This record gives sequence, C-alpha cells and structure tokens, in this order.
Amino acid sequence: MKHSSFAIFASVALLMICGLFIFAGCGKAKSAAIEKYGSDRLKLYLPGAYMSDSLIPNFEKQYGVKVIVEYFDSNEMMYAKVQAGDKYDVLIPSDYMIERLLSQKMLQPLDKNALTNIKELSPAVMNLKYDPNNTYSIPYFWGNVGIVYNTKKVDPKVVEEQGYSIFQNPDYAGRIYWYDSERDSFMIALKVLGYSMNTENKDEINKAYEWLLKMNDTMNPAYVTDEVIDAMTTGKQKDIAIVYSGDAATVLKENKDMSYFAPNEGTNVWYDAMVIPANAQAPKLANEFINYVMTYDVSLENTKAVGYASPNDKVLKEMSAPDGLFGQNKAYLPRSGYDKDEIFHDNEVIRSMISELWIKVKAHKAN
Amino acid sequence: MKLKINPFFFMTGPYLIWITAMIVIPMLLIVLYAFTIEGNDVATIQFSLDNFVRFVTDKTFLFVVGKSLWIAFLTTIICIILGYPIAYIISKSRGRQSLILILLLTLPTWINMLVRTYAWMGILQEGGVLSNLLEMIGIPGVSLLYTDFAVALGMVYNFLPFMVLQIHTSLAKMDNSLLEAASDLGANKVQSFLRVTLPLSMPGVVSGITLVFLPAVSSFFIPKLLGGGQYVLVGNVIENQFITAGKWNFGSAISLIMAIIIIFSMWLTRKIEVQPRKEEN
Repeated sequence: MKHSSFAIFASVALLMICGLFIFAGCGKAKSAAIEKYGSDRLKLYLPGAYMSDSLIPNFEKQYGVKVIVEYFDSNEMMYAKVQAGDKYDVLIPSDYMIERLLSQKMLQPLDKNALTNIKELSPAVMNLKYDPNNTYSIPYFWGNVGIVYNTKKVDPKVVEEQGYSIFQNPDYAGRIYWYDSERDSFMIALKVLGYSMNTENKDEINKAYEWLLKMNDTMNPAYVTDEVIDAMTTGKQKDIAIVYSGDAATVLKENKDMSYFAPNEGTNVWYDAMVIPANAQAPKLANEFINYVMTYDVSLENTKAVGYASPNDKVLKEMSAPDGLFGQNKAYLPRSGYDKDEIFHDNEVIRSMISELWIKVKAHKAN
Repeated sequence: MKLKINPFFFMTGPYLIWITAMIVIPMLLIVLYAFTIEGNDVATIQFSLDNFVRFVTDKTFLFVVGKSLWIAFLTTIICIILGYPIAYIISKSRGRQSLILILLLTLPTWINMLVRTYAWMGILQEGGVLSNLLEMIGIPGVSLLYTDFAVALGMVYNFLPFMVLQIHTSLAKMDNSLLEAASDLGANKVQSFLRVTLPLSMPGVVSGITLVFLPAVSSFFIPKLLGGGQYVLVGNVIENQFITAGKWNFGSAISLIMAIIIIFSMWLTRKIEVQPRKEEN
C-alpha cells in the first residue's frame, strides 16, 4: 500500500513538472504568433490518411503554433459537424460539398493577398465551376475514379474494351470489390448507360438503380471503402476494384501486377480543396496555412507521401514526367479534357434519392 | 405544512440535470422527429405517422431489421452453447488454474475490437493464414472472408467473453453443499446438474443474453468488415438516413422502433429472470 501511494505521488509530481515545461515552451512562441496572426492555434479538419506525416510538425515549428487535427470519414459527416456549430479553421472537403457549403453561406472568402503561392498552381485545377474564381477554395489534391485490376488474372484488353461493364461480366463474379459510396456507384451506373452523372431525370436514375441491382445480385461484390487499398496491394482476395486514382497510385506503386484504367464511358473528376469556414477562429493563420501547403517543397513531400495528384504545377509535371516518381504509374495523373468526364454537382433532391436507393441495392441481395 | 427536502436531493441534483440534458431531452427529440414530417418549423408543427407507415410498408427496412435481429439471435445462441461449458469448466477448476483460464479468456478483449476484426480479415482471406493451412492439407483456394460463416465467427468471437464471465459468476457463487445434498438424496450427476446447477445458473445466462444480444443487434462494423458490406444492418440504415439522405424524421422513426424492440427484449429477459424466484416463494 505504502509502495503504491508513493508511486502515485511520484508520477503526479513528474506529470506536473512535465506540464510546467510544456507550458513554458508554449509561452515563448505564443506571443509572436498571436501578435502576427491573432492566434497560435489552428484547427484542421480533413479526411483520414490524407496528409504527409511531416507537414504539420514542420508548419508548427516554422510558425511557432499548435495545430489540432481531426479526421472525417466522409464529406457528409464533416458537413453534419460543421453545421452543428463545431468550429474549425481549415476544412478539406470535395468540390460538390464546397458547392453545398457555399450555398449555405458557411464559408468565408480567402485573403488573396496572403496567398502569394497561388501562381504555382496548375491551370488544370483552377477556376472550376464549383468556385469560379477560387474566391473560397484552393485545391489540395485532385483525381478521378477508375478500375484497378490484377494483370495476372485479368486481360488488360478486356478491361479496356468493356470498361465499367466488366462489373456485370459473369466471368468475374465473386472477384470484384465495389466502392461503398452512393455517389460513385450511381456515377458508374449512369455512365455505363450513357447518361450524365449529374442527371436530374428520375427515369435515368431508376435505370441506373436497376443496373446496380443486377450487379449486386449477379456479381457477389464485396462492398468496401478504404480497406480496398490494402486488399488490392496484397492482391490475393479479388482481382478487380473501383478505386480513387490517388489510392490506385499507391496500390500500383506497391504491387507491380496491378494496373489502372479510367473507362472510356467517362468518369468523375474530383477536386478536394482547402476552405475556411465562416465561423473560423483563426482565419489569418488559416490563410497562412493554405499558402504554406501550396509551396513547392510542401506539395512535393505531400504528393510523394499520399500518392494523389498535386495541384502544384511544377510538382505535378516532375512527378508525372517519364523519369518522375509516378512517371510509369498509370493512376497518378488524372485524365483532363476528356468530354465524358464530369465534376459532381450538389443537388439535394437527387442526393437524398440515390442515398436511399443505394441502401436498397445493398440490402437487396438476400431478399 | 412545511415542505421537507431530502438532503440527498442536492447530491443527486447534478446527476439529474446531466441525465435530463444528455439522455431525456435527446430521446424526446427523437420521439418528436419520429412523429413529425419533414420541413417542419417549430411554429407549424405537423404530427403524422408517415414515417412509421413507410417503415412498415417498405420491405427493405423490415428485412434489414429482421436480419439484424436474426444475426444477434444466432450470435447469442452460439455464445450460450459454447460459453456454458467453458464457464462450467472454469468454475470447476481451482484457485490459480481458474484465474489463468479467466485471464486467457479476457486477454483478447484488452485489444481494440476493430483491430481484432481486422486480424480476422487477414486470417480468413484468400492467401491468408487459414487458407494456407488448408492448402497444406490438400484443400486449395478456400476463401472464407465475406461469407456468413465469417460474420458469425467474428460476432461470436467478440461477444463470447461477456457470456462466459456472466455464467461463471453465477456458477462460482453456487453453494457446493447443494450438490452434496442432491447426491445424498440419490440424484445422479446428470440429474443434479439439470435440477440444481442449471436453474441456479440461469440468472447468469439471462444477464449474459442481455450483454450479448443488445450490443449484437446494434453492431454493424463486424458484419460490414467480415461480410463484405453486403450485410446492411439497422445501424447502417440509421446512419444513412441521418448523414447522407438527410431524412432525420425517418431516421428517428427507425431509431425509436429499435429502442422499443430493445426495451421489449430487456423486459422479456427480466421476466424470465424473475420467474424462478416467484416459485421459491
């Protein structure tokens, strides 16, 4: 008894001493950062595993601030939290979600004077429809959606000929991973049928629903999300998968048997971008952070670590050059300028409709 | 008349405030949402049973609830069948041996449930540990991941310790002289087990059922990871209604229906538990 109470006393004392040192450390940097940016704390909210491990420590060191990071599973989850009043300084949502946040007046304009590195970004990612003059958002990563397949088990010719229809080809029943997202699922079904992925025509959506039902009932797909990256890197369980291009780039880098194909039926080109919510507590520091992420060195490190296509023009060119790190990687550089590729638009009625239809597709199986 | 306030009231006060703010009000909000239709303002509230009508008439949702209950039921039954003998063996072993057995049983629960489920994915998948072993004894190409078997295995694996510990507790409490009395009165081992041990361990079984069945009904990530997402369960549907579909009213209705089912099954298990005691009286 005596023994343990001494141990508790000692550890509490030790903790207090550590605490003192930490406080002292903060105290010094605090004044400088607060003077310059009005805050020394930056709250960041982004998708998981979407940033190089060194980015935040480096930023903290350079600017003498503390960054608090939180991760979300989906744009929708992020939206629910921010709408409920949670305060963040920088968010990294996707294009359609930025549209939605903008329509609800939940974002604030960026300080273009602070964003001196904006000229480094590739014209391919700028001035897009979801934010025409990049008043509110700066691209973070971009990519598309396509098929990762095992070249040892599936003939590349078949994949290229059949495109998304391969997901209804009985030869591959039980051999496929399907990405568990209603947006991407309906995008694929609508593209196979030759419709726009942003259609508002309910007949077309119902036809897409029928297509997905048939895929579900005949192909025995495994519905997965990010575990598909590990699964395809190991490459043992199944042979074909729907994967985001950046994750596909990681798979292809790790497993040389894997290849990537963005079908000719067209696909979804998407952009994830940094935005500052209207209720941000440290907007000045947030602008500084966004500017920091755009720099060549930071972008390079980030794209190397995560595998998604960089919006930084120079980095993008270097990485995708024939002798670049991703030069031979078919998944890294998203196809641009193809007329059947589309950006997703937010539409409340359609969103709710496909969300419910998708649950019905997945629950249909054992009916 | 002088109003006398119980001094303990002030001590329970903070707790009452907490429970009202964190549990009672949210529950009332769910009830309110469930019985109203979309697009209501506070000023023009409109009550309706639409959400429940929709739930009952759409067979997808009934099917999903049925499947959730079925998986939970199956898990509970297998846990009882496997858990009872284990608990019996532990309670019959002495001193250090029983401590070690309990430690072995609870040791895996020190690891996060999600991590353990991922480990099963690695074991069960094609080219994983199990299929390699099967290949060595001449059964190649077996993939157990994304099957019903994998889901049942994962659920039972995760919930079994709760069942065993509950049954063990009631078996360990049992007075051994009762068994001696039974054998004095001429009961053989089977008879004394059926007429003494089993009835006395029922409270343990019942609380084990509560501890396994209730979390199993609402669990969704084990079926999702091991069943390949083809297992759409109630938890998934509720999340979908709130997060992506944006139908809070319908999501609330489903939550309410599930809450009622759970309260009903708790009431049922309590009733079973109380019964034998009444007989004693």
